[in-house]
Amino acid sequence: MLDLIWLIPLLPFIGFLINALYTGRIADAHARERTAGYVAVGAVGAAFIVAVLAFVQLGQLPEEARLHQVVLWTWIATGSLNVPFGLLLDPLAGVMLLLVTGVGLLIHIYSIGYMHGDKRVARYFAYLNLFITMMLFLVMGNNLLLLFLGWEGVGLCSFLLIGYWYEKRSASGAAVKAFVVNRIGDAAILLAMMAIFFYFGTLNFFTTTVNGIEYPGFIEEANRIVGVTVGIPGQTFLVGTLISLLLLIGVTGKSAQLPLFVWLPDAMAGPTPVSALIHAATMVTAGVYLIARTHTIFTPTTLAIVTWVGALTAIIAATAAIAQWDIKRVLAYSTVSQLGFMVAAAGMGIYVAAIFHLLTHGVFKALLFLGSGSVIHGTHETQDMRRMGGLREHMPTTFWTYLIGALSLAGIVPLAGFWSKDEIIAHAWKHQGDVGYLLPVFFILLFASALTAFYMGRQLALVFWGKQRDHHYHAHESPSVMTIPLIILAGLTVLAGGLNLPGSHWLTDWLHPVLHEEAAQFSIGVAVFATLLAVGSGYLGWWLYAVKFANKITVDGKDPLYHWTGDIWDSMAAAWYFDALYNRTIVPAYRSVAGFFATVFDPQGIDGIVNGVGRLFGRASNGARTLQNGFVRTYALAFFLGVVVIIGYLITAL
Amino acid sequence: MVETSYYILLSASLFTLGILGVLVRRNAIVVFMSVELMLNAANLAFVAFARQQGNIDGQVLVFFVITVAAAEVAVGLALLVTIFRNKQTADVDAISQLHG
Repeated sequence: MLDLIWLIPLLPFIGFLINALYTGRIADAHARERTAGYVAVGAVGAAFIVAVLAFVQLGQLPEEARLHQVVLWTWIATGSLNVPFGLLLDPLAGVMLLLVTGVGLLIHIYSIGYMHGDKRVARYFAYLNLFITMMLFLVMGNNLLLLFLGWEGVGLCSFLLIGYWYEKRSASGAAVKAFVVNRIGDAAILLAMMAIFFYFGTLNFFTTTVNGIEYPGFIEEANRIVGVTVGIPGQTFLVGTLISLLLLIGVTGKSAQLPLFVWLPDAMAGPTPVSALIHAATMVTAGVYLIARTHTIFTPTTLAIVTWVGALTAIIAATAAIAQWDIKRVLAYSTVSQLGFMVAAAGMGIYVAAIFHLLTHGVFKALLFLGSGSVIHGTHETQDMRRMGGLREHMPTTFWTYLIGALSLAGIVPLAGFWSKDEIIAHAWKHQGDVGYLLPVFFILLFASALTAFYMGRQLALVFWGKQRDHHYHAHESPSVMTIPLIILAGLTVLAGGLNLPGSHWLTDWLHPVLHEEAAQFSIGVAVFATLLAVGSGYLGWWLYAVKFANKITVDGKDPLYHWTGDIWDSMAAAWYFDALYNRTIVPAYRSVAGFFATVFDPQGIDGIVNGVGRLFGRASNGARTLQNGFVRTYALAFFLGVVVIIGYLITAL
Repeated sequence: MVETSYYILLSASLFTLGILGVLVRRNAIVVFMSVELMLNAANLAFVAFARQQGNIDGQVLVFFVITVAAAEVAVGLALLVTIFRNKQTADVDAISQLHG
């Protein structure tokens, strides 16, 4: 089975090909929709089964042998660069595989219900399957270039799916924004890749054997660049710091961290299952995976920056999430904030906790997004929470599953989110003496998690409590094809904390061959304090919006808290004006440069050269064509003179 | 026996007359006749040299030239008739549409 892991990305790819090339041509809309859904679900389901089997087999190997590589063919071989097209399966890739295919499968099933009646549904499922393929390449690539192929591929699918309803100007704009912002990070990854090749001579993660020749891997040889510096005399940098900083820039793009997080809230213009799969559970966690994968080359300097980026993102996004009215934007900022937790955890060197939070977050955030999709579906495309209220009675299944997800996100015992978030916060508290910045980071993360509970309490109150504030729709529960995935995900949310409970810490042991970490120490004091804080602020958020100000919330009205916070509320609603800042500084500069290239450099420079060459030959041939005057006798004279010259030459020469 | 050089002189003057005819006359038929004149000048030279050398090759070649010239005249006159039907003239300078 382990030699068949190439089936895992291949199966969704086959699904993509069928849906892209065949399904769209089925004339009957009904049959087309059904075929597209079944093919896509079947492809991902088969990939999930193969992934589970491979995962189980990997677990049966002795611990030090849990790294299986399958080289399919030599991808690129030029000079000293040799890149195999190889897939790997190790404990870290294994858990990511299960998350991607498992949650992906549930979201595919859910999509059948959510996208029912959409006219381009074959295209939707084709993109979704392509996304799964690319995500699997990202996770399973045994070298940085193949990871980058997946990295770009998921970015492309993200672009295609955000702009899926491209008739809406906001959707196509958001798609372009996501693509362009990600491109900044991707450029940095490219540079990091070149630097890694320059210093290690390889892009493989681990030693790979291709056709009997062994190629080294840079993860294992990371100590080769320890102490190596580069720069001008008097100002040198550690190579490791530079490479890891470049990787960090890539991570800030893909995982929506400061300063490149602005694309993720806008990405909510795509269909809700897409937000759940790509912009919550899988793609945006690729950055955290990348850090965990390449953690050996991160230096203390970079790790400090990583920690700060994560912590600041967590707090900024959490404050922004409080002031949103759109049900999906709350979750979007919440995702950014939780990704900040993961990145901060990675920065603190507790990669297991980062991956643990990645996995639990993948499950419960997918649940929340799918739940919000169910709400949107049941309220006839209403997304503004001011127009909701009282949906608890109309949508009981959605409500209960959403409640479980929200409590998990808020960090309430014993749901998954509590265990994973607590590991991160407890570490910062326990190790505050190690490095100076851990104490402020601890307080920032603690405050961010309190805010998390607050905005989830607020959202629950606005959506499910109170009275329905807008009666333009008749709320109804979603079909079972949508609620069953919700129930499964809710069950997983309850259970997923068991992956790494303080007593058993299975995940730490499982990831030990990759990350070599000791089990995190549980701190009962921090846990109790964090829980009380979460319960308190969560209850406060719920009480304010469900009881105290229940009557002050009106359609298109201001938030009741606006009265006390004023401008601060506006700033939070605008995510502290990062978008406005970019729109005032970088975007106009970029536009004017692009405008110069579009209106001056291209027409006059590039076109000028091409047209100039054409004109030169035009002029020359204009002169030449007067020779051809159409008078036969002139030609005959020319022949005659030519003959005279040739004969004259022959006579004199011979 | 007449000297070969006389034949060559005659041939050269016929050839020159032919060239002059091609270059200066505008009537297509006269141009044709001039071309024939040049061909026959060449034929004369061939025959003269063949006799001087006591070799039959030159004579054979003349027959080829006469045959090809007959074909050429046939095609040329056909072209000429068509041009005349279209243009109502046989002036070679009138047929100059293909100039650049």
